[in-house]
Amino acid sequence: MKTTLTSMRASLFGALAVGAVATLNPSAAMAQAEGKRVQIKGEAVDTFCTVSEIMFASGTAHYQCAVWCAVGGIPVSIKGENGDMYMVLRIEEDDASSGGPRIVRIQGSEVTVDGELFERDGVKYILVTKVADEKGVIKLTHEEHGIQPFGQ
Amino acid sequence: MSLKTMALALTLATIPVVTFAADSVGGQNEKPMEITGVVVDVLCEVAKRCAPDCGGGKRQLGIRDAGGKLIPVVKNTDLFAGAQVDLAPHCGKTVTLDGLLFENPRMPIYMAQGIKTDPNAKEFTPVDGYIKQWTAKNGPAEEWFRADSRVKELIARNGVLGKPGLQPKPQ
Repeated sequence: MKTTLTSMRASLFGALAVGAVATLNPSAAMAQAEGKRVQIKGEAVDTFCTVSEIMFASGTAHYQCAVWCAVGGIPVSIKGENGDMYMVLRIEEDDASSGGPRIVRIQGSEVTVDGELFERDGVKYILVTKVADEKGVIKLTHEEHGIQPFGQ
Repeated sequence: MSLKTMALALTLATIPVVTFAADSVGGQNEKPMEITGVVVDVLCEVAKRCAPDCGGGKRQLGIRDAGGKLIPVVKNTDLFAGAQVDLAPHCGKTVTLDGLLFENPRMPIYMAQGIKTDPNAKEFTPVDGYIKQWTAKNGPAEEWFRADSRVKELIARNGVLGKPGLQPKPQ
């Protein structure tokens, strides 16, 4: 009986706590959406340089610039083998997609990731649940393209 | 340095305090465009995984326009920096941005160059908060991106080419 009462108190406290959180932050009560489960293989790239094509933006030639951009908060995307781009909004338990330590660490690397895919208004977004493989920088592009963008 | 890169560096370094419409950075499919809408946390908007204050600058942000279209804002006018510092204080509020839309069919993105919160205001405020915030935290540096401790740590570990032990040929 004591256990039941304790459980009820715990449940009531839990419900009140959830209610309080929802009152303080209405978005917290919103049901999470589930994305399509996918596995993507490709290169973690700087979104702006790659999409805008303002410079060559792949492999060793662009590693340093890609790190600068990731630390600066520009989104990291995974460029899939077919050229499709997937903007990373979360990586494992880290949702600091703007310059967070986990996202910065995979920048430039050839990766295979499992995750949830969402598409909205022409943009593919991925929430990475697991980095299944991380090979580091693979494409040796610096001899042809130099070091982007300043040559050093 | 390529001509495109040089043009980008010069453009970003010389954007005056209040000149709009947006300045070109020489990108592909770029289009000067003003957009008006609510500042949103993109992760919250697409997956309903929300955080207070749009993540306080730690998440990617975008604009949801009156028609419900979501446009990720990935860049401000500072070299190698995003626009979270500039947009996060306006989370949930309607703003008008001036900048460049990159209409890449694989991923349309937006670079914000000016912002105004009053739709009747004539002038935009430059979107250049990253370096100011970085300097306030770290002190002045000629190039924040080379002086940053996180960058230094990664480059020290992996080298400028991203492969430990691989060095560029001397110039």
